[in-house]
Amino acid sequence: MTSAEVITTFAKYEIKRAIARKKVLALVAFTILLGTVPYYALSAAGTTLIPNSVYPYIWVVGIFAVGPLFLNFTAILIAAGAMSEEYEQGTAELLLSKPVRRSDYFIGKFLGGYTLFLSILTLNIFLSVASAYTFFGAQNNLYIIPGLFLAQAFASLVFFSLAFMLGELIRRSSLAYIFSSAVFFSSYIISTFMGLIYMLTGKEIYKTIQIYLPTSPANSLPIQYAFPQLPSSLSTLLRFVNTTTTVPTINLSIEILLTYTLVAIAIAAIYFLRADISRKLS
Amino acid sequence: MLGLIRPTSGQVRVNGLDPIAHHVEALRNVAYSPELPNIQTFLTPKELLNLISHELNFSDNATRNDEIKRVLELVGLHEYANTKVGKLSKGMVQRLSVAQALLGKPETLILDEPMIGLDPAGVAHFREVFRDFASKGNGTVLMSSHIMSEVESLCTSVAIIHKGKILFRGPAKEVEQEILNYSLIQLETSPLTAQTLQQLQQIPGVAHIDTSNNPNNTGTITLEIAVNQQDTDIRPQIADLVIKSGAKLYTIKPAENMLERAYLEALKETNEGKP
Repeated sequence: MTSAEVITTFAKYEIKRAIARKKVLALVAFTILLGTVPYYALSAAGTTLIPNSVYPYIWVVGIFAVGPLFLNFTAILIAAGAMSEEYEQGTAELLLSKPVRRSDYFIGKFLGGYTLFLSILTLNIFLSVASAYTFFGAQNNLYIIPGLFLAQAFASLVFFSLAFMLGELIRRSSLAYIFSSAVFFSSYIISTFMGLIYMLTGKEIYKTIQIYLPTSPANSLPIQYAFPQLPSSLSTLLRFVNTTTTVPTINLSIEILLTYTLVAIAIAAIYFLRADISRKLS
Repeated sequence: MLGLIRPTSGQVRVNGLDPIAHHVEALRNVAYSPELPNIQTFLTPKELLNLISHELNFSDNATRNDEIKRVLELVGLHEYANTKVGKLSKGMVQRLSVAQALLGKPETLILDEPMIGLDPAGVAHFREVFRDFASKGNGTVLMSSHIMSEVESLCTSVAIIHKGKILFRGPAKEVEQEILNYSLIQLETSPLTAQTLQQLQQIPGVAHIDTSNNPNNTGTITLEIAVNQQDTDIRPQIADLVIKSGAKLYTIKPAENMLERAYLEALKETNEGKP
């Protein structure tokens, strides 16, 4: 059996394990709610609030409304427990006592969790489009969906990797969730403050700090990809959701995200390959 | 030994290889059954074995299914193949732990307290499974246990380890002589006279006679005779003497729990008295 087949086995196992933990079902339920209820609410609000010209593009609302918070938080919830829950339950010991490479296990767990996240992202996009079609008729510019999917997937990878790393380093799922969420929300809050201070003082250092915080490129990338391909008339509607791009260029967003992601994965991998696999922790 | 924990000192070699640096090669024919295994509760035994069979590199689905069926039947879990592990009893989970270790016919089995949680029938069954593995399968069983009677009944070689140090290592039958410097013969008879006890004491090889637990509720007495000669079996002489004294001889046999006595004695030698 090749290394790829072993990795696939662990990836499938991770998906099954995460689903069995029930939290994924809760995330799916939230995704369904967030992909349908906002459209119903907008539909019920009537045409005085939403111009007719926006109707064919309203599918993006569901994506940008939930992306920054819900999808990144979903990534954290899935990734933080991927390694840590196995240590807590003592189940890693049995799997790793077999003649398999630790690297295969690591990659399989990472890919399995990330595949699960991508499934939820797919559901989010599908529901946004389907709901928009149901409540507002035919939708335009759907050709940008594959690119938008990739942008959102890549943007969320940074928090997925950070949570995965913290789960491996801390080896306690609850602490890993808390620390990962703390990083996420701290970045969000600090970014807001840095932007505010920059506006008040005009000092570049605050702007630079804001740009390099992980939430900034994670939020900016999907917007940077999608907005040039959407009509400007959407701005009326999208002012209700967070669509500010703090990172000046799409390339810089990708570079920052890539750096954070690779560093987090590298730290997790080095630690996992060198650390002991001890017996049940709790 | 399984490459899961790095040694704080010294080194481990499995099949001549470092199980950390060469994990896959070193453990290719080695299987492990943990004590009170933590097995994924959302899986069924069949699913767990299927997962592990993928780790073990089985060539095709037919071989995989046949092997899974074989080990499930071997440990008596075939009726529960599709029951979630979370719904199995402790003993069944222990059986599953052994089943996953037997998967793929390894050459070496590493068993950590394999009998814990098993009912007496299960214990007897697994003794046979492990004996067959060692004799018919020509395999090696490395068993870690605190149940000395299990070790005594199964193992041909013994190592007594205390706080990471090997206090004794050698053939099981040599433990008594190496650590205790004597073997014990247990005797159940009707009460013996002082003269008979004195005569027993004079048999060559007899080091000491312990009568401290007498008499029994049944009116008989139990003697433990310490013998410091291994090359001659003096049980016929003892039996002759007792019968000629007019007393009734009910049993005469080597004493049990010698390994436990040896273990406790070995601990005493570390000046710790009690473990």
